[in-house]
Amino acid sequence: MNFSPCSRSPSIWLLLVGVLNAALLVHAEDRPLRDVIDSEISAVWQREKLTPAAPSSDAEFLRRIYLDLAGIIPTYDEATAFLKDQSPDKRQQLIDCLLDHPRYAQHQADLWDLILFGRNPPGFGTDKREGIQNWLKEQFAANRPYDEMIRDLLRAEGNSVEQGPPMYYVQFRNQPEDLNEKVTQTFLGVQLQCARCHDHPFDDWKQTDFFGMAAFFARLTVVEVGKKDNIAMYVIGEKNSGDVLFTGPAKDQTPGKKGEPIKPKFLLGGGLDEPALPEGYKEPKLEEKKPPPPPTFSRKDKLVEWIARADNPYFARAIANRMWGQYLGRGIVHPVDNLSPANEPSHPALLDAITIWLVEKKFDLKALTRELLNSNTYQLSSRGTSGEAQPMWFQHARVRPLSAEELGESWRIATGYDEATKDKPPEKTPSRFRPLNRDYVVRFFGQPNNGTGDFQGGLAEHLYFNNGELGSLLLRTPGSLLGTIINKEMSGDERIERLFLQILSRPPTTAEREKFIEMVNKKDVEDRVNDLVWALLTCSEFRFNH
Amino acid sequence: MAVRCNPGEHFSRRALMQSALGVGAGGVVMNWGGLTQTSLADEVRKQKKHCIYLFMNGGASQFETFDMKVGARTGGPFREISTNIPGSRVCELMPKLSQQMDQVAVIRSMKTSQVDHPGGIYLMHTGYQPTPNVRFPEFGSIVAKYHGTEQTDLPNFIKIFGHGDAGSGFLGPRYQPFGIGPDGSLPTFSGSNMAAEKELRRHEVRAFLEDQFAAAHQSELARLHRESYEAARRLGAARKTFNIDDEWEKNRELYGDSAMGRRCLLARRLVEAGVPFIEVGQSGYDTHGDNFTGHRGLVPSMEHAWAGLMTDLKQRGLFDKTLIVWAGEIGRTPSINNRAGRDHYVRCWSAALAGCGIKGGQMYGESDTEGVEVKSNPVTEGDFFATIYQALSIDPKIENYTGVRPIPLAPFGSKVVSDLLG
Repeated sequence: MNFSPCSRSPSIWLLLVGVLNAALLVHAEDRPLRDVIDSEISAVWQREKLTPAAPSSDAEFLRRIYLDLAGIIPTYDEATAFLKDQSPDKRQQLIDCLLDHPRYAQHQADLWDLILFGRNPPGFGTDKREGIQNWLKEQFAANRPYDEMIRDLLRAEGNSVEQGPPMYYVQFRNQPEDLNEKVTQTFLGVQLQCARCHDHPFDDWKQTDFFGMAAFFARLTVVEVGKKDNIAMYVIGEKNSGDVLFTGPAKDQTPGKKGEPIKPKFLLGGGLDEPALPEGYKEPKLEEKKPPPPPTFSRKDKLVEWIARADNPYFARAIANRMWGQYLGRGIVHPVDNLSPANEPSHPALLDAITIWLVEKKFDLKALTRELLNSNTYQLSSRGTSGEAQPMWFQHARVRPLSAEELGESWRIATGYDEATKDKPPEKTPSRFRPLNRDYVVRFFGQPNNGTGDFQGGLAEHLYFNNGELGSLLLRTPGSLLGTIINKEMSGDERIERLFLQILSRPPTTAEREKFIEMVNKKDVEDRVNDLVWALLTCSEFRFNH
Repeated sequence: MAVRCNPGEHFSRRALMQSALGVGAGGVVMNWGGLTQTSLADEVRKQKKHCIYLFMNGGASQFETFDMKVGARTGGPFREISTNIPGSRVCELMPKLSQQMDQVAVIRSMKTSQVDHPGGIYLMHTGYQPTPNVRFPEFGSIVAKYHGTEQTDLPNFIKIFGHGDAGSGFLGPRYQPFGIGPDGSLPTFSGSNMAAEKELRRHEVRAFLEDQFAAAHQSELARLHRESYEAARRLGAARKTFNIDDEWEKNRELYGDSAMGRRCLLARRLVEAGVPFIEVGQSGYDTHGDNFTGHRGLVPSMEHAWAGLMTDLKQRGLFDKTLIVWAGEIGRTPSINNRAGRDHYVRCWSAALAGCGIKGGQMYGESDTEGVEVKSNPVTEGDFFATIYQALSIDPKIENYTGVRPIPLAPFGSKVVSDLLG
């Protein structure tokens, strides 16, 4: 294996030994990765003397997998069909089916939009980013290899509206230091922010590492080249000159002191070989609304090449760990974007094994997802005794809050709103949150949002539940849940069955049947059913994926 | 389970809640005053201190308030008036406050690092400059964390026409601010028109479902979800605290008949009801044009309300436990531009503190003759917040973790300005 630009640090050698061991682990019996996962995870349960939770029930699995892969709950018909299905490999079939469903690409694009931008990205113009959102969807629909996808993202060719990727840089316009923090954290799992102001207190990073990486971005410039459908189109240009200036530790800085220009340097590696500029070079003036000419030598492209190499010790490991965290609730290194030596993995051999497997499969994220979801570990019940939302030893499934998009779209399925309105002529640009107000849903449920975020109850979301707009989901027309339930032909028992299957994707328990039978047999049944529907739409069982 | 000391774990929500001080096992606490971590936490709580942040959005001018340069080329048209402290003078726009300056400590040597509004607002709410990777909490969230009580009817951090959107940052949604409108109105969806009987019926159905889920899952998330649902219900019961109409008539004179007066009266009611942190905002100070007309319109209602608030707090025995912080996000230039305006300026500007043991009756720090540079005793944003925390009996060196990174309440290297503390 060749680690050319970065062969000097001892930590690389440690990593290399680990990866070789992991290669043996994967190749020893040529076992499927899912089996390697289960044996590594259960070995640690034995060491820690832990009893794992039982396997998930079909209903538990069903709701979890729909939300994790498609970002929505199953419909009543989908739920009943799956629960009735007797075939032994029905879980595997459902995983395959959802991986090829258009919703898969949509949901992954939603997650990556949040990874790349968050809810409130900096930078003028970044709130309208359908270009890159569509681009992300296309990447996942085509199952683009992750390294190719990230290379295209960071090369940022084309414009921010018709192609998309340049929008990533727009949020860090003229801020090479901020951009550097974000790129190294997101794609390499390396957090350099401490080293921005002082040498890192417990990692190896020096301030010069920070500025050496930031130097790759110092010459980028955001240029607006016109508008399409009233949305500004940006392209990313790169100048031939310009440097980041390093002023030394923050405590030694004084006003007016100019820093030293810093040359680009790869993390843990050498400097960049770059041709010298001609004597007395003068940067040409940018023409307005025109894409700038490409540079004679692109620092950015050199960095992109280095970042997305299969043998970059951070790149593959960071995505392997992130994917694990996405489905298992926490990273093997947690948080997922901090692969610092001070932040040890809980299952080091397993992380190495997944990393090397992913590199061998040429960064096929869908294939990795398939292995993760078919593991017994993923398919454990979340009914455990530890009470932890994200158990470190993965002895039961994690519990995570639904994102704003997941809630908005799942509420429509649960109430039959989609079914009841499917023949209505579509609006020009139907809101994903219809009939609810996007601003409210995103404000109250937008964060935490990445599927692995911590959650604490907020007062505001309950005010919204209690007094907000949920009532507008409750249609009474044919196809809607209430329209179906209030049908006189239905017995009380059937009504309860329908309510639970359609909203919570499971049949009611005996206790629930007994508790609610009277309610749904009342004369003023609609009012009572409304109470029950409201409670089902807002209770913890709906609010979380478990 | 084996004990693992993974620094990332120091920030688990559970650790935060189990430890009153919010520093999980292994968190570093510098023990000022020799108190242990636990007893310090108890001490902090026992003192039940409050903080009201009078936030001047846009950046009030030091030259039209506390640091006049009468006679200087760019001093502006207003006159100085004497105060109840011999030799100390303030702007004529502040007649009520001038008679209570023995209670107020003015800092005339603020020197901060963010010259525009978004950065300045962030800085003057968190003590830190904005950075892409760390979501710093507002000091309201920090005060809510150390002086707040769980299971109260009212939120621990309330903003009445507040500004800034840093929120609780890495401290998490538990310490999120609860926002009240400029006219004191409750946020969207606070009100319910439902019949009490129906509300109770819905509540019972929901409680049954939550009990079942909790029995099977013992999930911490579900517990938090349920707790905040209960808090939302309790807020309904506490709604009357926000209705100041029954008290307004007899306090109109004291606070001044203005929106700012009503906000300050509401803040006092909330302090009385036990809320540890309230921000009261006033907007419109970004006077790049017509600075003097602007301040003539804004300062009188603000200073009247502020003076009334101090009188009222004193009469109720709350002044010694309530810190009043007065500041904007920036100061304004010594020079006057061609639109009779003053622009943004952070090299030398003013802020003020009162109550809660602040040594009033002083003008701390000095600006030079034209107010261009700090002449003595500069106070950075870090020093400012360190002093605030210290006044509230919260050790500014306490660290919270975001990921593996320890973050002290006030930025590393900040100094408490002990001359300001009694």
